[in-house]
This record gives sequence, structure tokens and C-alpha cells, in this order.
Amino acid sequence: MSQLTGRCTALLDGITGRVGQVLSRAEEIGVAAESIAGTARATGRELRRADFAVLRPLVAGLLREQAGLVAGAGVVLAPDVAADAPRAIEWWWADAGSRISQLHVDTDPGSAECYDYTTTEWYREPERTGRAAVAGPYVDFICTREYTFTLAVPVHGGGRFLGVAGADILAGQVERLALPGLVHLGRAAVLATGPGRVIASNTASFPPGSVLGRPLPAGLVPVAGPAGRDRSPGLLPWTLLSTC
Amino acid sequence: MSQSALATVRSRTVFAPLDAGGRAETVARRLAQAITLGLLLDGECLPAESQLAVQFGVSPVTLREALAMLRDMGLVETRRGRRGGSFIRVPDQAQATRLEPQLRLLSLHDLRDIGDHRAAVAGAAAQLASQRALDSDVRTLREHVGRLRGATSRTERRRADARIHIEIAAAAQSPRLTRQEMDLWSEVGDLIWLPVTGDQVAVVTAEHEELVDAIGRAGPDQARRLAEQHVRGETERLIRLRLEMDRL
Repeated sequence: MSQLTGRCTALLDGITGRVGQVLSRAEEIGVAAESIAGTARATGRELRRADFAVLRPLVAGLLREQAGLVAGAGVVLAPDVAADAPRAIEWWWADAGSRISQLHVDTDPGSAECYDYTTTEWYREPERTGRAAVAGPYVDFICTREYTFTLAVPVHGGGRFLGVAGADILAGQVERLALPGLVHLGRAAVLATGPGRVIASNTASFPPGSVLGRPLPAGLVPVAGPAGRDRSPGLLPWTLLSTC
Repeated sequence: MSQSALATVRSRTVFAPLDAGGRAETVARRLAQAITLGLLLDGECLPAESQLAVQFGVSPVTLREALAMLRDMGLVETRRGRRGGSFIRVPDQAQATRLEPQLRLLSLHDLRDIGDHRAAVAGAAAQLASQRALDSDVRTLREHVGRLRGATSRTERRRADARIHIEIAAAAQSPRLTRQEMDLWSEVGDLIWLPVTGDQVAVVTAEHEELVDAIGRAGPDQARRLAEQHVRGETERLIRLRLEMDRL
């Protein structure tokens, strides 16, 4: 492994490790949600939206502990999981003063025009694959109103998909994690998602949000990550590209 | 102005408590936006005032002020009694006549200027979206065009249309352009479908299909041109309708 590859791999591992910490906290919220659903099943009681209110302290803990990185977290239920709300988002966010508020989004299955989260990447991916997904960066015009990543894990119970538990991370915060290391590499370097969307970059030629495209821009090669030369499967399908 | 007079003006304006008005307007604007974007639906009951006040982080007095503003706009109806509460009212085609006074308040100059602003935002968003949208973003756009095609009322068309333009700005990867589209649509969205009648529905729907196709085929210049053309057409329709009002 060349020196550059080693440095890039360490940098990428540092970033994905940090995001991975948030993902494991999202998993804890998922486990807690599964246990709420399990209790209802065991007692033969219908699951209600308010049952998930007990997640608040767990989410508040995550928001406090990861203040500055995590913007919001909670659970989103699959259609008809809660008896009293055909679709439900139980999500909390912390404002600038670290006050925890519940997100208020109304969802109505009878209407195609309402905010239909079942079509979003962060909902569809865990549903389809049964595994955690990192969606984004994307413009979240419902909750954060910012450029955001959503980390989502599937919630299962009674042999069915019950929804997802997850957390939002602002894209700017991931950039803040990545940029010092990228700048320190001393050559053009870009952190990108699997499909080639730039997350952070130390060059104005590839600003965040742009797409690298195929074939890759001249001179840029994957150095670390799933598509990198080291081939070590990271926590996330993110790639660090650089000039050789 | 004397020192003491200046101090009085300052304490009444610059340093006035936020609760004194600005916050109620912010809450009202946020709810009005949610209603016009279809996030809150016709007939839906809002949570209790006390709960809403907590969620927005405002005093109950401020929240009631915001609800009063929404009532004045005809977007919320408050009923008393056991089954009472505040209910969402979405203006539909049956209430299109209610929009005409709103249009009458706008001069041709206003309409032209709103059109220019919309064209600038929609054009830039379409151009950037065509450079930055991934296949998955284009699929999402097509789904929303499908919803526009399947829409059966003016309200549904207006909401699907708003969603398409907001999704295009989101596909441009720009939170700022997205927020601009959201603000523009909540400001004038109701008016946009007002002059669209009969055969024009199919034409406007086709324009959206073409625009999304241009974004998907990675044609930034074409995408911008189509978006600008589309907005210009809507602006002209509104100006014609406004002129007719004066002739009557």
C-alpha cells in the first residue's frame, strides 16, 4: 500500500467511523421501536402512534451526545403499522438552543399529493434490502430544509417491515469532518458517494453536490473505499478519489 | 431626534420582543406554506393550540394570533364544541372565485415581476438539475409528473405542479433554490392554475414531461430554456386573465 493510499484509507475510515457511530445509535432506536411493537403484539393490543413517544429520551440523548453532527432522529412507520395513523413520522430535532422539538408533518394515505415518504431513498433502501442505508446528500425540504444525509435502519417485527429508525446529519457537518484531512493531503482529493455525488472536496473544480460522472474526470482515481485500490469494504459505500 | 426619543423608538422597534408580531407571522407563514404545498390537507384537524404552541416554541397568545391570520386568509376554520378545533381549509376550484380578488390586487407589473423571479429560479434549478441529478432523482421527478397527469382537480394539479418544481430545485442540490421555489409556490401557487382550462391542462402537463425529459437527458441549456418558456407561458396566461378582469 502506497503512502497516499494509506493516508486516504485512514482519512476515509475516520469519517465513516464517525458516521458509523451515529448509525449504531440509530440501530438502538430501531431496537427500542421493535421492542415497543413486540410488547403491543405480546399483549394483543393495537399499536398506536403515541406508543412511540417513549423513544423521546433515547433520541434526545443521541441529539445531545452528537450535537453539531446529528440534526434530527426518530422513527418513521410503514403504512398501517399504527392503528390510529395510517402513516406516521415520530421524529425529533434540536434547534440552535439545543431545545428538542417534535417534527410536525401530517401525512395522509388517501392523498397522493401529501408528503409521501415511502418514495424516498432513506425509506425504500432499508425496506428493499433489509439493511441500513445512508441516503443523500439530498435537499431535505421537509425537516431540516438543508442539504442532508439520512441514516436509516429497518425496523422489523412479527415477520414484517414496520418502518425505519434513523438520524439526519447535515451535509455541511460531514464536510467539516472531512475537509481538514482532505486539505492536508496536499493534492486534489474528493470524497464522493457510491453514485459519484461529491460530499466534500479540496478543489473548486468539484464542489459539493456536483456529480463526477463516468468516465471519471481526467486524473482522478479512486484511492480508498469500495471502489478504491485497497478494496477494503468500508462502513459506507463512500469513495475517496485523488490525483496520482 | 433627541436621545430619549431615539431610545423609545429603538425599544419599540429594534429591541421589541419577538412575540410582539414577527413570530406570529412566521408561524402563520409556515402553516400557510404547509397547506398550499399539500403537507396539511383539506379538512384535517390541527393539534390542540397548547400543543402547537409548544411545537413551534411560541407562546399560546402568539399561536392564537397566527391562527387568526390563517382564518382571515380562509385557510383555517375554527369550530367550537366537543368536535371542535382548528381545521384546514384548502381553496379548491369551487373556491376559485375567492382567488380572483387576490389576483385583482396584483398589477400587471407585479405579475410580470413575479414571472421574472419564477423564471430565474425555475430556469437555474432546471439547468443545475440536469447537470447534477442522478438517475434516482430523475425517477422521482417522473413519478411526480405521473401524479400531475393523474390529477383530477385543480387543487391536485396545483400541488403536483408545486412538488415537481420543488423536486427539480432539490435535484439541483440547492437548498436555497428549493426554499425559493417553496416560497414562490406558497405565495402565488394558487393563482398559477387559475387561468388553466380545458385543453390547456394537457398542454401544461406535457410541458412538465418535456422539462423532466430534458433534465434526464442531461441537456442543461435545453432544460433551462424549457423551464423559462413554461413559466413565461403561465405568466402570460395570468396577465391575460388580469386584463380581462379590468375589461369586465
